[in-house]
Amino acid sequence: MILDPVFEALGAAALRIAQEVGGIVVMTAQVVRALVPPRIDRRELVKQLYKMGNRSVPIVVLTAFFAGGLMTLQTGPFVKKLGATALAGWGAGYAVLREIGPILIALMFSGRVGANNTAELATMTVTEQLDGLRALAIDPVRFLIVPRVIAMLVMLVALTVIGDLVALTGASVVGRAMLDIEWSTMFHSFADNLRPYDFLHGVYKSIAFGGAIAVSSCYFGVTVRGGAVGVGRAVNAAVVAAATSIMLLDFFLTYLTG
Amino acid sequence: MSAFVEWRDVHKAFDGKPVLRGLSLGVAKGEVLFVIGTSGVGKSVTIKQLIGLVPIDRGEIWFDGQRVDRLRERELYALRRRIGMVFQSSTLFDAMTLAENVALPLRKHKQLRHAAALVEARALLERVHMAEYADRHPAELSDGMRKRAAIARTLAVCPAGPAAPGQLHSGPEVVLFDEPTTGLDPVSARRIDRLIRELADELGVTAIVVSHDPTSVFGIADRVAMLYQGVVHALATPAELRASPDPIVQQFITGQSTGAMETPGF
Amino acid sequence: MSQRIANIGEAVVSAARAAAELWMVYISTLAGIWRAITRRKAGRGRPKGELVRQLHAIGNRSLIFIVVTLGFIGMVMTYEACLQLSRVTGDYSQVGPQYIRLVISDFGPTLTAMMLATRVGAGIAAEIGSMKVTEQVDALRMSGVLPIDYLIVPRFIASVVMTLLLSTVACLVMYGAGGLTAHYSFGVNLNLFFDVQLVRMRHVVMMIVKAVSYGAAIPVVAGFCGLRARGSSEGVGWATTAAVIGSSFAVIVLDFAISAAALFVTGGDL
Repeated sequence: MILDPVFEALGAAALRIAQEVGGIVVMTAQVVRALVPPRIDRRELVKQLYKMGNRSVPIVVLTAFFAGGLMTLQTGPFVKKLGATALAGWGAGYAVLREIGPILIALMFSGRVGANNTAELATMTVTEQLDGLRALAIDPVRFLIVPRVIAMLVMLVALTVIGDLVALTGASVVGRAMLDIEWSTMFHSFADNLRPYDFLHGVYKSIAFGGAIAVSSCYFGVTVRGGAVGVGRAVNAAVVAAATSIMLLDFFLTYLTG
Repeated sequence: MSAFVEWRDVHKAFDGKPVLRGLSLGVAKGEVLFVIGTSGVGKSVTIKQLIGLVPIDRGEIWFDGQRVDRLRERELYALRRRIGMVFQSSTLFDAMTLAENVALPLRKHKQLRHAAALVEARALLERVHMAEYADRHPAELSDGMRKRAAIARTLAVCPAGPAAPGQLHSGPEVVLFDEPTTGLDPVSARRIDRLIRELADELGVTAIVVSHDPTSVFGIADRVAMLYQGVVHALATPAELRASPDPIVQQFITGQSTGAMETPGF
Repeated sequence: MSQRIANIGEAVVSAARAAAELWMVYISTLAGIWRAITRRKAGRGRPKGELVRQLHAIGNRSLIFIVVTLGFIGMVMTYEACLQLSRVTGDYSQVGPQYIRLVISDFGPTLTAMMLATRVGAGIAAEIGSMKVTEQVDALRMSGVLPIDYLIVPRFIASVVMTLLLSTVACLVMYGAGGLTAHYSFGVNLNLFFDVQLVRMRHVVMMIVKAVSYGAAIPVVAGFCGLRARGSSEGVGWATTAAVIGSSFAVIVLDFAISAAALFVTGGDL
């Protein structure tokens, strides 16, 4: 049958994805188990928080600024044409807080911190440092992975909060500079139309995104095979898995929490 | 006298190709045993099986009167605090200094605070004559120095149980070395040899060394086990080995490329 | 204090240098394309194998990924828009037309490119990066082949073509998914939703311009990062990370720039 190779390819892909999903679930279970009771290496945790924060703040801030500006560019002219400039902030702000902000920041975070983390863990695995840890009777999950997962989760939530604010600022700047919408108009339309729940909705999402990025990033790092080539492939896989999970989670969360 | 560490009829295959075919080997407490053989014959696999980094297909492995080839994760961790391993690539953590590297097992196993652990770490580094480099990072050092630091870190592992305050802990009872002198210049290699010998003589450590360095073999080994075609082909003291009439043994120790040995793939 | 200034100065200089190198890669890629065209015209072309392989690698293998991710995001966007409208006006007549306008002129190409930046950008950087650290790139140079010609040009062409095609597919998928969501979750009449009255030529032009720009930017940035890889596995990891970030960010900046430019050109009427 002419479609046989297509089915074969789909089947093989499905199997591979199932295997990866299974592995990620197992790792999640291991991480959760290591958290109860929470005996984490505090030095590692602090070190990771510092490293990840340092690395990601500039790029996230920049991205958020542009994203906010972009939303104003898209919705502003429409709103102006309707004469409803008072709603300008609502159009941009709503999208930013609930969707664009968390998703974009999560994607950038995955690319910057997630990919880097996978590369580090993959390099450590390839150079036998992970086996070395086991031989020293130190559990790699507790010592390496859990601090990184926690650090990534915390960092992403913090960055989403910061990024949301920066995006709203970016939206206002672009509104003022390119569409002649006054600061006060924007500010009031934010205050009047955006509810705290909209903000929190984005934060909840970022928690889910953070978890997905963190676990998949560690998983692909630790299961790397091959040398330098394997490391590149692991990073690739991690980033793609994170992007896919972000989109899927966003879908489910939006529907579930309205 | 039953052996301290013992492999009994161990079989292991990778991807269908048999590597170990009924390996049996006993190691006495406190001795320095070398495991030699050509590349790919399964030497590293054999010692990794002892601490559960590689599973076995068939057979048994015994340590100190207990069977250790079927342990669960938690028991394995207890085992690894009594048997340490120095890897071929030293596996030090690049992000930490030498002192921090050595302090790591001390912090984890003895629940020491960071500062106290560093003090003991420096003492351990002193024992391997690396104290002056304690605050350097592994990337800044030569291979030989990294090897010695890795040995110090392995010595920092300690068996479960409380330590008397102020006492420099007792380290692992057995240390496995995977090709400790491969790739080192002759001077550094001899220093490593001497260090291994000191560990056995002064600390009573049982050393199992995988190597294909003849100078090390004839320099510090108490006994030598030669692996060939998946089993222990010869087990003797270095002197006996040198005098052996077995052509395969002779080919290996004199380093001939042709002879009685079957070398697949060449 | 002066040390601080020196540090900032250093950072600016190295950023400027990197930007200049990146620009050089871009120009060299265009030059490489020109070379390939003239070579083919002169009858001395190399077989098209590499280009076809890249088309397949970038296009075929990303198709399902793009369809799935953009389908979901399309559903979410429509859902959010309808949700907000239900709170304010309850009038859904504009949702479909506005949605398709936005999808074509912005979200379609941009989101596609963001996804491709992760999938394709990382892949390109990983491949080229590992070739660089295993010295295969040097080997290429020594056998008289310009790395740019062999490595980046085919990927460039493939990426531009595929980004355009995938963006089109994405727009269709998003539109369809959005319509279904609006219908099944908010009872919006399908005919009302699938109404392209607001779509103008300039929107389609914007989509094409954006898709082509993104398609050009991603392999250039990713290839640049790959060629700069140093060390061993660490270097490859670093290159891949930089590529994902660099291409994603380039997409966002290009999106902003093109949208702003369009705003000026059309006098404030998007």
